[in-house]
Amino acid sequence: MIEITNLSKSFGPLNVLKSIDLKIKEQEVVVLIGASGSGKSTLLRCLNFLEVAENGEISIDSEKVISQKTNLNKVREKVGMVFQHFNLFPHKTVLENIIEAPIFVRGENKEEAREKARILLKKVGLQDKAHFYPDQLSGGQKQRVAIARALAMEPKVMLFDEPTSALDPELVGEVLQVMKELAREGMTMVIVTHEMGFAREVADRVVMLADGNIIEEGHPEDIFTNPKHERTQRFLNQLL
Amino acid sequence: MDFLHNIIGILNEHGIAFLKATWITISITGVSLFFGTIIGIVFAGFKISSIKFLNRISDIYVGIIRGTPLIVQIMFLYYGIASIVTLDSFTAGALALGIHTGAYISEIFRGAVQSIDRGQMEAARSLGMSYSLSMRRIIFPQAFKRSIPPLANQFIISLKDSSLVAYISVIDLYNTALSVQGENYMPFETYFVVGLYYLVIVLIFTWFTNRLEKKMDVSKPKEVRIA
Ligand SMILES: Nc1ncnc2c1ncn2[C@@H]1O[C@H](COP(=O)(O)OP(=O)(O)OP(=O)(O)O)[C@@H](O)[C@H]1O
Ligand SMILES: [Mg+2]
Repeated sequence: MIEITNLSKSFGPLNVLKSIDLKIKEQEVVVLIGASGSGKSTLLRCLNFLEVAENGEISIDSEKVISQKTNLNKVREKVGMVFQHFNLFPHKTVLENIIEAPIFVRGENKEEAREKARILLKKVGLQDKAHFYPDQLSGGQKQRVAIARALAMEPKVMLFDEPTSALDPELVGEVLQVMKELAREGMTMVIVTHEMGFAREVADRVVMLADGNIIEEGHPEDIFTNPKHERTQRFLNQLL
Repeated sequence: MDFLHNIIGILNEHGIAFLKATWITISITGVSLFFGTIIGIVFAGFKISSIKFLNRISDIYVGIIRGTPLIVQIMFLYYGIASIVTLDSFTAGALALGIHTGAYISEIFRGAVQSIDRGQMEAARSLGMSYSLSMRRIIFPQAFKRSIPPLANQFIISLKDSSLVAYISVIDLYNTALSVQGENYMPFETYFVVGLYYLVIVLIFTWFTNRLEKKMDVSKPKEVRIA
């Protein structure tokens, strides 16, 4: 599904990603962990070409993406992204947020897009909020709308960058619930999160990033109970 | 009591002239704001653009306008253009005022666009929207709403600044006051009257923009449905 080879990315003198190799299979759920500043967000953003890596290759859906040649907008349609701070469009209602890209990017007709949006809202448990503005929703509700908005483009992969970090503790569960449901349906997902219980339950693989390299990866049970790398041990201890 | 008496006298004698002048002041401000807004949009676009050359042009324009007095700009344009084509003083004045406020309006639009959280652009792009589509559908509508209060403020400044076109003999409010007080030797009362005219125009305008701001507040629901 996704194949990353020898990816590197710098911001000026700061070499954030050194040489990343990662393969993600269809329907796989991968959780990225690592200390703050280790490059987790940068890696996700490279997958969606919000950052352009200077070296290495990415292929998505067995199609090699060469940033100068490929139409990045087309690639991004296949890759849904959910942000820590939701980034809903505040001047649009929940429904309008969801149908915006299907209508203006995919050229769906309005009725079709609305109908699909209603189904998605039902799926995330917000069918009664269609005509609300983002300001009128709680954080957990906003994030669920953001997930529905990304799903409306029918992506092949969903990327989540700390989707519950900005939420009050009592709202975390409702978002994780939606994500679990997605995983169960077979969505391919790459998730940056500090919710280790969730990772244990849902992830097929946990990938530990440190200083711009993948230092350890494996089944969540193995990583959490028996981390090999000393930095992974330290990182997991800090979380507990 | 003398003061009040004199003011009533001025209004009686020159009320019509002041009203006509009010129309001139409003129309020269209106025309200049129309052009200023167009200029502002264009130069804000230049400044936001990723083309260095256009950024420079916008910087130079804003730099010159901000760095020189309005009265100098008016005179420069009036006499500068007069040497090429003959322009009536109203047109020259409206042009000068438009070029002047255009610089400030472009800064307002640029600031508003840049004040929109970059997560908005990222969210739009991540949905597959192109840069221009994201700008048009996501960034500009939010930026426009945010620029209304500073824009209203700039419009008020422009209205008052328009008094400077009196110096190229446009018969606006201020110019009318100049000639009235030259006639009646009551500068104190005359300037008081003309000040009132400006004040009333500004108050009416403010009332309208406050209503517009309330109307534009889209974050409030148009209709809340109870499920
Ligand atoms: N646009 C940017 N310009 C310059 N430096 C950046 C930029 N984005 C990220 N960085 C730097 O790159 C490094 C990695 O950032 P990144 O956001 O990928 O880390 P992270 O693992 O997601 O951390 P966190 O857990 O805090 O979110 C950090 O040192 C950060 O300051
Ligand atoms: Mg991050």
